Amino acid sequence: MLIPTISTPRLTLRAPETGDFPDFAAFYASERSKFVGGPATEEQSWRMLATELGHWPLRGYGRWAVEETETGKLAGIIGLWNPNGWPEPELGWDLMNGFEGKGYATEAALAAREYAYDSLGWTTTISLVSPANDGSRNVAKRMGATFEGMFEHERHGTLEIWRHPSPEDLTAGGMEAYA
Amino acid sequence: MPAQNIPTIETNRLILRGPEAEDYPDFKATFSSYRARFMGGPLNTYEAWMLYAAEIGHWQIHGFGMWMIHDKVTDETYGMAGGWMPAGWPEKEIAWIIWPDAAGRGYALEATHAARNYFYNQQGWDGAVSYIDPKNLDSIRLAERLGAAKDKDANTIDGNDAVYRHPSPDALKDSQIAHGIEMEISHYADPLFKPKGWALD
Repeated sequence: MLIPTISTPRLTLRAPETGDFPDFAAFYASERSKFVGGPATEEQSWRMLATELGHWPLRGYGRWAVEETETGKLAGIIGLWNPNGWPEPELGWDLMNGFEGKGYATEAALAAREYAYDSLGWTTTISLVSPANDGSRNVAKRMGATFEGMFEHERHGTLEIWRHPSPEDLTAGGMEAYA
Repeated sequence: MPAQNIPTIETNRLILRGPEAEDYPDFKATFSSYRARFMGGPLNTYEAWMLYAAEIGHWQIHGFGMWMIHDKVTDETYGMAGGWMPAGWPEKEIAWIIWPDAAGRGYALEATHAARNYFYNQQGWDGAVSYIDPKNLDSIRLAERLGAAKDKDANTIDGNDAVYRHPSPDALKDSQIAHGIEMEISHYADPLFKPKGWALD
């Protein structure tokens, strides 16, 4: 299937590709990946990248490789995620090493949420946050998501469910700050 | 939604197509069962889905991968076969798994033979191996029926697998083993000796 490309002021959301593997594997090899199932070996990371790609044809949506437009570097893997066993379709974000603190997760996730609502017709979405992952929780809050409860996953353990504002909330509720 | 650019192969009894969303329950049933013990299983629901997605992503990354094996007439699935080379694999592998209730009818032989021919003739592979758990006797037997032989000097994945090296394209071409495979498949499809009926008591 054709994976759409989306541009934001500083970022380009595009299909993941083989060339992303070194940065992707470096993230999963690092301690920073501990909130999303890592650290992982190179072999596990390779399968994860293959899974990111296969998610698109299986679900009709998935996560994008987010490029820093100016440098062409891989800044993150961000988008829509719904493997079997997930509570419901999720909006997720992983920033690659060295791209924290620039607001990139929020910028890309807002574009991904807009795509889910406008192009896919989703009426709601959540983000799952590991309880110790303050940076990720802050992104959810900045996007207007509210804490809804806990979810227990067989592999990832306990995760917080953060519910995003619906399309109606965003248009009617004066939430332009989030869009 | 089908993945892009996965070729389709037709054989005597089978059609090999890219893995699709509607085939996932069949995959999950086998990979969450004891049958998958030689393929890193049994897997839980989440792991099975992640692996299934990776089977599709493998095609996008390498341009080859595993096909879903369908019955040409009924379209039901019997297993998967094709090429496999995730990170950590020393060489390109020809791999297969047959659902437990579809075993014993020569489908794995027919599918892997077609897949190997495709890789050799359409994608220019100059050889292939199969990494097999030494306890997986069914798979070892299939590798040998395909003309593969144990290669004791080849690098393994992690030391727990035996490497079976397939005949090269030149060694396979018009060889006795290739004709033998064709003959075995044709006998599965149209047995020489058919039971004329069933004993009544």
